[in-house]
Parts: sequence; C-alpha cells; structure tokens
Amino acid sequence: MRREYDIDLLIRKFKEKDKIALARLISIIENHPEKASDIFKNFNHIKHDSYIIGITGSPGVGKSTLTGAIAKRLLKEGKSIGVISVDPTSPFSGGAFLGDRVRMTEVSLDPNIFIRSLASRGYRGGISRAVLDITLLYEAFGMDFIIIETVGVGQSEFEIYNLAYTIIVVMVPGYGDAIQMQKAGIIEIGDIYDVNKKDLGGADIAAHIDMMLDDSTFQGGWRPPIVQTNSITGDGVDELIENIWDHKEHIELSDLLSEKKKIRFAYKIKELLYYKIDIVLESLINQDELNHITTKALENKFQIYDLVHDLFSDVKFERKSKS
Amino acid sequence: MADGKIRVLMSKPGIDGHWRGGIVISRALRDAGMELIFGGFQNVEQCVESAIQEDVDVIGLSIHSGAHFAYVKRLLDLIEEKGLTDQFMLLVGGVIPARDFSELKKMGVANVYGPGTMTKDVVEFIKENIKK
Ligand SMILES: Nc1nc2c(ncn2[C@@H]2O[C@H](COP(=O)(O)OP(=O)(O)O)[C@@H](O)[C@H]2O)c(=O)[nH]1
Ligand SMILES: [Mg+2]
Repeated sequence: MRREYDIDLLIRKFKEKDKIALARLISIIENHPEKASDIFKNFNHIKHDSYIIGITGSPGVGKSTLTGAIAKRLLKEGKSIGVISVDPTSPFSGGAFLGDRVRMTEVSLDPNIFIRSLASRGYRGGISRAVLDITLLYEAFGMDFIIIETVGVGQSEFEIYNLAYTIIVVMVPGYGDAIQMQKAGIIEIGDIYDVNKKDLGGADIAAHIDMMLDDSTFQGGWRPPIVQTNSITGDGVDELIENIWDHKEHIELSDLLSEKKKIRFAYKIKELLYYKIDIVLESLINQDELNHITTKALENKFQIYDLVHDLFSDVKFERKSKS
Repeated sequence: MADGKIRVLMSKPGIDGHWRGGIVISRALRDAGMELIFGGFQNVEQCVESAIQEDVDVIGLSIHSGAHFAYVKRLLDLIEEKGLTDQFMLLVGGVIPARDFSELKKMGVANVYGPGTMTKDVVEFIKENIKK
C-alpha cells in the first residue's frame, strides 16, 4: 500500500478548498522539500495573509487545550483557522507520539478548522523545517488565523519567534516553571503571558512574572500583559483573546507587523540557503572521507580542527559570474 | 529527508472503558519509528476527519465495547463517501472474539488483534504492508 500523489490534481482540489488535498500537500512538502516550488508556483497570484499566533511553553502546561479553547471562540466569530502542533521526534527511534489533537476534539469537526500534528524530525533548530511551508499553505488556503503550538524548551522558541506575530507563553502555577522559563530565555519572547490551570492557583506566579517584566525593557512600547486561564472550562480565555487583539492592533499600528513579516521570510531564506549548501557539501565531501577523518580524530583528538580544515583545502566555492 | 514516516492514527470509538492496550501499542509503534497521532475517544466522523487531516497511512481502532461490526461498517461507509476507499490501512484491536476476525477482514479490515497480541506483530504487519 503506497499512495501516489499527483500534484496538479491536488492543486486543483486545494483551490476548491478540499481538505484532503491540503493534507496531502502538507505531506509532500514535509517529505519532499524539493517539490515545494512546484507547489508554491501555483499560488503566485494569491495575496492573502493569515495572522499567525504562536503558543509555547513546557510540556503539559495546557498549550493544546488552550489552542482548542482559543479556536472555539475564533470559530464562533466566523474565522477560519489552521493549527500546527509540533511535538518532538524521539532521537532514539525517529518515531513520535503526537498527543495534541486529542485535546482539540471538540472543535475538530468544524468546517473552518484544519489541525495538523507535526513531529520535529530532528531538523536543524528543533522545530520542524516544514512549519513555515505549512503556514504558507494555510495562507494560500485562505485561513484567517494560524496557530502554531511548540514546546518551549531548548532552541525551539527562537524559531517560533521568527514565525509568529503574537507569541503567547503559557505557564502553570508553581515557581519551578517560571524559573526554568527564565533560564531558557523564554521569559523574553512572550507578547502575552498566560498562567494556565487557574483552577490550581497561579496568582502568585502571575505576580512573579509581572515583577520580572518590570526589570525588562520592551521593544516597540508593548508591555506584555499577564492573564490567567482555565483552558478546560474556558475561564479567562476571552480576556486572553482581547489581549491578542490588542497586541495585533499594536503591531499593526506601529508597523512592527511588517518588521515581523520580514523576519519570517529572512529566516526562511537563510534556511533555504543552508539547505542548498548542505547539498553542495554532500556532493563535495563523501562519506568515506568523513569516516577517514573520524578514524584519524580517534588517533589524535586534538587534530580535529586541522582535519576538517584540510578536508576543505581543495574545495573551492565560487560564484559563476552572471552575464 | 526524502522519505516519509509511517503515520498512524490511534482512535477509540466512544467511551468504552480502558485505554491501556491502545497506549501500549501506540508506544510500540513510536518506538518502531512511526509517527503516532493519538486521537483518543472519537466518534466515526472525528476519526475519519483526523485521518484525513493528519494524512495517516494507518487507522488503528481500539474497541472494547463489543460494537465492532457496527462501528467498522460506519467507518468504512464514511471513508467510501469521502472517496477514500482503500486509502487507509484499517487495523482493529481489543476484545474481539476470534470468530469475528474473518468477517471483519471481509469487510475491509486489514488485520485484527485480539487479547494477548504481541506488539511486534503489529509493527511487523504495518512495516511489511506499507512501504515508505
Ligand atoms: N486543571 C487544569 N488542567 C488543565 C488545564 N488546561 C489543560 N489541562 C490539562 O493538562 C494536561 C496537559 O494538557 P495539554 O493541553 O496536552 O498540554 P500541552 O502539553 O502544553 O499541550 C491535560 O491533562 C489537560 O486536560 C487547566 O486549565 N486546568
Ligand atoms: Mg500539546
């Protein structure tokens, strides 16, 4: 059993708003980045922009449940939403347990929502390489909003910073989480801080974040608000959404939004360049050579810099002059 | 990264008791390198919609209610209605009496796993039949 995907047919159906086609185009883009341009060239005339919201925080704080709660309210206002939930790929098996969608069952049948779970698959930088491409597909599909959920540990939050226009950092009652967040630098990236699981307390942690924010300087004159939610009952979610609107308006009026859009593409362009260089490198340096210098490094570990340098001594990068 | 991973939706029709079997299998599939989308309790529509949006290769149903024939029939009908016949490998596990296996397979279920199933058998079956 193996499905063959016909891109032209899928594009036709995609333009008729067929979710099966959207789902399959996502798979193609995820598995075959080299086919992305064949897909995107069909959208050249589309000018639609989606508003991109990022939700980040430690595992288990309630990001997926909150995504469902936010989506429920936006759907009620007649908005369409594309969700991308990223969970880590196991470095040992290459497999992944994607447990986000299960928290969004309530909204999952609404015709105006599309939810995709994504495994990080060990691409450079933590979050899946495919995320930006999927946001482009969602924009071509005409989604009003895109919500990206990622686990905020290690590197991934920097990428969400490069992708989303409003970032919500989710925490839970208890200081451990806040301190961990601060260490990881996450406390600097939020546009809105949400202390979820309000039913378990959290007023103290909200005050703590408030204090930490007092010590920070804010770019562009936005002081991140702090809200408390219970994403299961929906308590506080309306207030959170009000804050999203406020932030959206703020960055639209101050023109920060176009800055953020620029960052989004600059980031992708860099990534595409690295991808090309990877391919060039693979063609220039073969596995045998790599194995050879690895063996040599085992003999003398202090040589590794020189070994790599030597490997490049006969590699010449140059640009063909365009005439 | 040229080749895709096998994607599996694990779904449980209705709220019919324990999950352990489904979770054990889910972990085994992840450990075998597959991407496992945990659907939890879902009705037929939610299950099919998840399978579509996640573009899975396999739908695994964990059924303990005894209503396997009715559920599988409705699921396959809906899949047909969407024009997706034969696009998903359908696996059924749970408390299914052995005498029902062949009837389920006739309906279009690729394989049935009763109590005492070894997870490696499920892994092998999927890997053998889905080439990625
Ligand atoms: N008590 C309480 N539990 C919550 C709340 N929001 C989410 N949860 C639970 O927290 C667990 C993890 O939620 P999930 O959305 O999967 O978290 P994620 O890993 O951050 O996406 C689940 O059992 C949720 O039901 C909340 O506001 N209060
Ligand atoms: Mg989650």
